[in-house]
Amino acid sequence: MFPQDRTVPVGANTTFCCIVEEGTDFKSILYGSTVMNVKRLSRRSYATTAVNQNISGKSGTNVVCLSNDPSKLTGAVIFVGYPPLLSKFECETRDLIIAECQWEEGRRTNLYRKNASRYSVNERDCPERQRCTLSQWEGNWTLLAVNPLGQDSLTDSAEVSHRVHPVAPVKLTPVAHAWNATVLWEWTYSSYSSLALVCQVELASHNTMLGNFSGVGLRSAVLLDLQPDEEYKVQVRCGSQKNFWKWGDWSKALSFKTKPYVPDAPDVWMWMNRDNTGLVVWKPLTRRQSHGQIVGYKVTLWNSEENEQHTEILSPESKVLPVNLTRWASFSGDNKVIATVNAKNVEGMSQPASVLLRLIDDEPPALAHTVYTSTGFPLSWQHNDNSTCGYLVEWCNALCTRDCPVDWIRLDAGNTNISVQSADFQPGVRYNFSLYGCPSDFPVLTHRWQGYMQELAPSSSVRLEITQQGCDVVLTWEEIPLAGRRGFLLGYNVYISNGSQLTRLANLDLGTRTYTKKGLSVSIHKFTVKAYTSAGEDTGGTASIRLESCDGLILEILASLGMVTLLLATVAYFCYKKRRWVKKAFYPDIPEPKLPGDWFRTQGPLDVKPPPHSMVHIIEKPERDSSKDALVVIPEEEEDDGEGIGDEPVDTDEPQSLRYYNQVVDERPIRPRFPDSSVSSSSSVDSANTDVTYTGIQTSCSSLVFRSDSQCSSEGFQPHTGFSVSSGDRGGGYQPQMQPVALGGNLASPEPLVEPQVVSSGGYKPQSSWLLDSPTETDEKISPPPSLGSPTSVASTQFLLPDSEEHEEERRQPSSSAAAWFTNLLSSAKP
Amino acid sequence: MNGHVKNMHLQQLVEKAATLLCFLLLLAVDSTKTVAASRNQECGYDLQQTLRLSRQVHKETGNLIKKYKASEGEMAELFCKASISGIPDPNIYGLEPSERIASIYTQLQVFSPHLKRVHEQQMDLQPKSPLLNLINIVRDQSRRLTLRINNIYRIFFPNLPLPEPAGGPTTLPPPQNVFQQKVYGCVVLTTYKKLLTNISKDMRTLKSKVCRRAPASEFNFFR
Repeated sequence: MFPQDRTVPVGANTTFCCIVEEGTDFKSILYGSTVMNVKRLSRRSYATTAVNQNISGKSGTNVVCLSNDPSKLTGAVIFVGYPPLLSKFECETRDLIIAECQWEEGRRTNLYRKNASRYSVNERDCPERQRCTLSQWEGNWTLLAVNPLGQDSLTDSAEVSHRVHPVAPVKLTPVAHAWNATVLWEWTYSSYSSLALVCQVELASHNTMLGNFSGVGLRSAVLLDLQPDEEYKVQVRCGSQKNFWKWGDWSKALSFKTKPYVPDAPDVWMWMNRDNTGLVVWKPLTRRQSHGQIVGYKVTLWNSEENEQHTEILSPESKVLPVNLTRWASFSGDNKVIATVNAKNVEGMSQPASVLLRLIDDEPPALAHTVYTSTGFPLSWQHNDNSTCGYLVEWCNALCTRDCPVDWIRLDAGNTNISVQSADFQPGVRYNFSLYGCPSDFPVLTHRWQGYMQELAPSSSVRLEITQQGCDVVLTWEEIPLAGRRGFLLGYNVYISNGSQLTRLANLDLGTRTYTKKGLSVSIHKFTVKAYTSAGEDTGGTASIRLESCDGLILEILASLGMVTLLLATVAYFCYKKRRWVKKAFYPDIPEPKLPGDWFRTQGPLDVKPPPHSMVHIIEKPERDSSKDALVVIPEEEEDDGEGIGDEPVDTDEPQSLRYYNQVVDERPIRPRFPDSSVSSSSSVDSANTDVTYTGIQTSCSSLVFRSDSQCSSEGFQPHTGFSVSSGDRGGGYQPQMQPVALGGNLASPEPLVEPQVVSSGGYKPQSSWLLDSPTETDEKISPPPSLGSPTSVASTQFLLPDSEEHEEERRQPSSSAAAWFTNLLSSAKP
Repeated sequence: MNGHVKNMHLQQLVEKAATLLCFLLLLAVDSTKTVAASRNQECGYDLQQTLRLSRQVHKETGNLIKKYKASEGEMAELFCKASISGIPDPNIYGLEPSERIASIYTQLQVFSPHLKRVHEQQMDLQPKSPLLNLINIVRDQSRRLTLRINNIYRIFFPNLPLPEPAGGPTTLPPPQNVFQQKVYGCVVLTTYKKLLTNISKDMRTLKSKVCRRAPASEFNFFR
């Protein structure tokens, strides 16, 4: 490929030609990574032109001719750059003989190795790229730069005295004292001894200072206003004083330390308690004030008039001395005690610092508020024109009342304001500030302030007390202690707790510490009182109260009791007066079963209506208790009532109409129990031991007992055989109530049952003579023959009422069996 | 009778001498085994160190190739795929270990002037390029590897002289244009890396084959 290794300026156009090997197929030409448009020149020759070429990389731009065989790679490299461009060409001298010329490249050519620029000054080659040294000061210089793309040149001319660039001073040496020092140095070239020089000395301690010194062949500088016992670091550089060209190089840094000196007088102040004790306090001397290591303090208390004196030597860490002036005999009078403090270091004792010890604030001025700003607590006051004294502003924590660690600052006369700042100020702490006039001679307290650096919400809460006064709730509380306020209190908020929420009831000013809440209901109430500052509320003091009824509670109770008593009396009286009605309403008499006159002709169940006059036949069993065996005659008073049966003719002479209640089984008061009446006969099976036999009229089912019909025949004899009467049997027209009575082994055999019945039922003998007409009972010859008046239990005193269905059924029963039964009855009833 | 007695004494002497000879032979065999064992340890250590060094050079050469491609301008990756004449062969020849070690040594020696040429060319093309430092690192390590191979050969084959490269001193390519220099440098480095790959493989093989054969007499080295 052609051309090879060409160097061209930026923006030029270059045409490349590629000739591929015989037998190889051309593919493309790449300029960098760009596929070029190719023109075929011949069978194996191809050309392309790169236009407006950009600056190439350090290794040039690759132009690659690709063929179908990647192993056969051909190509070229082209370098695109700039011609040289020079700037800042100047020559100077260090030793006043040799010329040292320097320059800069105005633009990078981007050409390297053999294409790089070549420089010469006054036709002397310069091997270094931007610097050339000429052995003689020629006064005029021409710099020429050349590269394949072009050349550039610059000229310079100057006298040697105008181009002096001094070298750095060497061998710096200090001569140090307490308040000053001298720095000495030397020059590398002797030619400087006749050169007018200006030198700059940089002195560094806590801050850096620059000082200028001048002179011919300058070799030293005196440094003034230094601090005793202080470390310093110094550097020096110089320039030509006449025709100043530029500052020379800085010397190496030199360190030295000044010598110590007696300390400054300490700043002394005092704090007096009301009991004539107090503190003499002084500020520790700073390093600048101590002028060396402090070895101790001497404190002297003396009375000039009495010439009384007391001295104490304190350690260097001390900054306070407690004093008790009551021990001084002269203090009670108008004589003054003065405290004098001296600081001491290795060089000696400082000047004394004095303060008059006396209680100043006998009638202290009112405290004004001061609000902290970014510069501190601003304090201002009126200047007393008659006073030529200075001022002292003192501050301390307002909580402190005795032996307080005060801080202070002294001000010159004429000052009328200050902004007090201290690193010790803390948020939420109240500080008291006091302004004293003439603090050194006769201090007078003139102003007082108080303030917070930053107000916070109170850290403690009010102690809340709660009482009930009548129907009202009264809240009272005390002031929050000063330590817990952490700000100026602005007032109190009173809240009532409503579940988890607080509802504010009132906002009270600072002077109000009681609150009355009216109109509360009788229940438990919870109140919270929160004091607040400009920063917010405290957590709050909380108290609860159970509010009692407040309007005649006892009277209400008595009235209620009286009303209840009256009501009870009224009810009792009414009941007494209407006791018959009550009895009738709530305890009605049991209606007597009554037998209608033509009861035997009815096909349905018998209407049991006791006759107006019943006869009772009592058969007593000798071995029974007479009281239990007694038969009770059912009162017949109410028998006329009910269902119109009283109009029917009743045969009162008929023994069947009698009804007995055996109290052996049931001693309850006898009441009519109609639903159970039908069981009275059937349940007599269970009451096998009863001695009572009654021949009362049975229900309709009883009348069917002796029928051959199985429906009721089972009821007729089952009681005697010990079998239970079951409603599921459906043998009778009634639902018998089951009242099983323990019969022991008697149930197994009916025999024992028979004898007592036979004995006891002597008055009913005719009944026992009745014959069974029920075929189902004929087999049971051992059982007594069923009869209407058969021995039975009267444990159930209720009548059996037939089911309507069965009643209907019974109505349909042929009357033949009833007639037969009646015939039997009549025959047996006849003696 | 006397003759018979003399024969008896002679026979006894011969038997004693034979016994002593057998004993001495056993001692000799035993001492030979001890020497072989100690040599075996040394063999393993040397080959292991050489293998480690060859891997390190291989890794450094890989890094160098990446940097080379990055510093030679666009499409420089095509340079390494080119085929140019005069580049040494990266293969190692020989059947016996001695031949293969000698071949490794020879190949490393042959590559050395090519690496130097690449360094010179890059110095001319990019005088302040960090690539130059990388090339120097690879050259230094390559020299150390060559010395180590030489040392191994002399230890295991003390009586066999190292053969000189066939064809005499290495022939370098004639002056080239910048494009050819770029291609040449990339191909040299790529081929050298292949050689290092082969060396590492051979070192592993040699270590496993040679250093685990206990009797020295069985080594091909000592034939």
